[in-house]
Amino acid sequence: MNKVRIQAQLTPYLFLAIPVVIYLIWVIGPMIYSFYLSLTRWDGFSAPAFTGLANFRRLFADPVFYTSLVNNLEWVLVFMTIPIVLGLFIAMGLNRDIPGSKVFKACFFAPMVLSLVVCGLVWSWLYNPAFGLINGFLRAVGLENLQRGWLSDPKIVMESVIAVAVWRQVGYVMVLYLAGLQSVDQNLVDAAEVDGANSVQRFFNVILPQLAPVTVVVVVISIIDSLRAFDLVSVMTRGGPFNSSSVLANFMYIEAFNNYRMGYGAAIAVILFMISLVFIVFYLQRVAREETRG
Amino acid sequence: MNRKFLLSVIVLMTIVLTMSFAGGQGEQASGEPQAQSQIVIYNSYMSDPAPRKADAELVQRFQDQNPGVQVIHSTVAHEDFKQAIRAYLTSSTPPDVMTWFAGNRARFFIDKGLIMDISDVWQNQGWNDSFPKGFRALSTVDGKQYFLPATWYWWAVYYSKSTFAKYNIDVPRTWDEFLAVCDKLKANGVTPITIGTKYRWTAAAWFDYLNMRVNGPEFHINLMLGKEHYNDPRVLKVFTDYWAPLINKGYFIKDPASYAWAEAIPFMTNGQAGMYLMGDFIRDSFPKEKLDDLGFFRFPIIDPGVPVGEDAPTDGYFIAADSVHPELAKTLLAYFGSAEAQEYMAQELGRLVTNRKVPNSIFNENQKKGMELIDGADYVAQFYDRDTTPEMADRGMNGFMEFWSDPSKAKAILDRLEATRAELFTE
Repeated sequence: MNKVRIQAQLTPYLFLAIPVVIYLIWVIGPMIYSFYLSLTRWDGFSAPAFTGLANFRRLFADPVFYTSLVNNLEWVLVFMTIPIVLGLFIAMGLNRDIPGSKVFKACFFAPMVLSLVVCGLVWSWLYNPAFGLINGFLRAVGLENLQRGWLSDPKIVMESVIAVAVWRQVGYVMVLYLAGLQSVDQNLVDAAEVDGANSVQRFFNVILPQLAPVTVVVVVISIIDSLRAFDLVSVMTRGGPFNSSSVLANFMYIEAFNNYRMGYGAAIAVILFMISLVFIVFYLQRVAREETRG
Repeated sequence: MNRKFLLSVIVLMTIVLTMSFAGGQGEQASGEPQAQSQIVIYNSYMSDPAPRKADAELVQRFQDQNPGVQVIHSTVAHEDFKQAIRAYLTSSTPPDVMTWFAGNRARFFIDKGLIMDISDVWQNQGWNDSFPKGFRALSTVDGKQYFLPATWYWWAVYYSKSTFAKYNIDVPRTWDEFLAVCDKLKANGVTPITIGTKYRWTAAAWFDYLNMRVNGPEFHINLMLGKEHYNDPRVLKVFTDYWAPLINKGYFIKDPASYAWAEAIPFMTNGQAGMYLMGDFIRDSFPKEKLDDLGFFRFPIIDPGVPVGEDAPTDGYFIAADSVHPELAKTLLAYFGSAEAQEYMAQELGRLVTNRKVPNSIFNENQKKGMELIDGADYVAQFYDRDTTPEMADRGMNGFMEFWSDPSKAKAILDRLEATRAELFTE
C-alpha cells in the first residue's frame, strides 16, 4: 500500500519533468546566457570577451536608451488609459441585447485577429502623407493644415504608432470586459436600482467593483504588451526617424542584429527584463492570492 | 496498474528521445552524400521585382544545364537579408552560396573566416585574366580570392526629361547651375528633388557626394575608415554650406522619411518632382512606359580643383566557409561569373558586369553613358554603408536624418558622431 502511495505522489513530478526540462533548456538557459552576454563584448562570431559592466555604463550614457525608455513609458501610460476606458465603455454599451450588438462586437474585435505586422503595413499606407487615406481625407474636407507626415515627423511619430496599437487593443479589452460582465451579479444591480441609485452610481459603486479582477488582468496585460512592443515599430518606422520612435525591444534588436553588438543588445534585454519583472511579480502574486482564496 | 502505467510512460519517453537523437544524426549522415550530388542552397537578396525575376531565371538556366542538380533558392527581402546574414553564416548548415556586397562588408566576414577561399574557381574559370584588375583586388585578401564581383552600377542624379524640357532647363554641370535648376523648378511649382529616406541610406548618398565634391574622395574615404574626424570643420562645412540650404529652401519633397526609396519615384513620374539622386537600379522600379523619360547626369561639380569621386557599388556572390555542398556551390558560383550569366544580367537588368568576355556591343546607350561616367572619375567609392563599419553607418545615417529634420543642429550631431567614431575605431 505504502509503495503505491509513494508512486502516486511521484507521478505528477514525473509528468512535470518533461516540461520542466524543456523550459530549462529553451527559456531559463537562454535567459541566464543573456545575462552572461550582457557582461561581454561579442560580435556574434568571435569568442565573447568579458568586459564587466562596460555595456551598462555605456547604456546609461546613451541618449537612444533614454528616448526608447521614455517611449516605452509613454506606451504604457497610453495603454493604461485609453484602451481600458474605451474598451470598458464599448463593453458596457454592447452588453445588452440590442439589435446588431453581435455585429458591433465582431467589428471591434476584428483588428485583434490581424497580426501586428499586417496592422503596421496597412496603417503605413493610411499614414502615407501624399497618397494615404488620412491626409487625403483631411484635404477633402478642407483641413489641409492638419495634414502631417505622420510617420516622418519626429514630434508625432511615436503617437502615430501607438494609435495603431490602441486601435487594436480596444477590441481585446472589450472582449475581456464583456466576459467579466457575465459574472456581474444582476441581483445587486437591480437592488441598487430599487434603492434609487442612478446609472452612474450603479456603474461606479456596483458594477466596477465587481469587475476588479478583470481590471487587474487588463492592466497587467496592457503593461506587458506595451513593454514588449516591437512589431509595429519595426514594420512602420524601424525606430526612425533617427530613433524618435525607438522602443527598448526595437533598440535591442537593432544593436544586436543590425550593429552586431550582441553584448550591448543583451544588456538592453536585461534592463527590459528587470522592468518587466516588477510587473510580472506583482501579477503572479495577485494570481497566487486569488487561487488560494478560490 | 499504477506501476505499469508509469513504466510505459518512461519507456515511451526513452523511445521518443532516442528516436529524436538518432533521427538528427541519421539526417546528417544520410544528408551529405545525397546532398553533394543533388542540391545546393542559394540565398539571395534580389527582392525587388525585376532582379528577382532575373535571379530566378539564372537559377533555372543553371538547373537546365546541370540535370539532376536542384538549387534550393530563397529570396529574402533586401533589408532583412542584411540583418539575417550573420545568422546564416554562423549556423551549422549555412546556405552554400549567398549574394553580398563587395569591399569592406565582405572583408568583415572574410577576416572572421566565414567566407570560403575560392582562388581555385578564379583559377579554373580564368577569371584572373577575364576580370579587370580592380575587381580582382576588390575580391582578394592576402593573395587569395574570396568573392565573385558580378554586377555593378553607378550613382547619378536622375531627372525627368519631359519636366526639364517643359521648363526649358539644361542639364547642370556645376553646383551653381544645379542651384539655378532647383530655383527654376521651384518657381514653377515643381519640387526640385524627390527622395525617400525611410531606410536612411538614400540620405547617405547626399552625404557621400557632397563630401566628395567639397573635400575630395581621399578625405571622404579616410573619414569612412575612421582616420578623419566627424567634427572636422571641413565636414561641418558640407552640412552648413551645401546640404542645409537645399533642405531649408524646400528643394526636397516634404516628409521624405515617410517613403521607402521606391515610394518616392511617383513624385517624379507624375511631374511633381524633377530629380532623384539614385543608383541605376532606379530603372528596375521605374514604370516601364516612362523609362524613356528618365535621364541622368553626373552629380554637379562643386570645386573644380577637387578630384572627382563617384559611388559605384559592386554586388556579387560568395560561398560560406562551412558550406555543406562546396563542390556544387563552386559550380553554381562559376556559372554566376560566366560570360553567359553576366550577359543575361546585363541585358535583362541593364547592370554593368565584371567579366570582360561579355562583349561591349550588348550594352545600350545608358550603360555606355554610365561606364563613361565612372571612367571619368578619379576615385570610385562603394557607398557610405559599405565603406564604413556597420555601426558607424547606423549612427551616421541616424545623424543625417536628425540633421534633415533640423539642419541647425549640424554641429551638435557631428560632435556626437565624432564621439561614436572615436569609440568604434579604437575598439
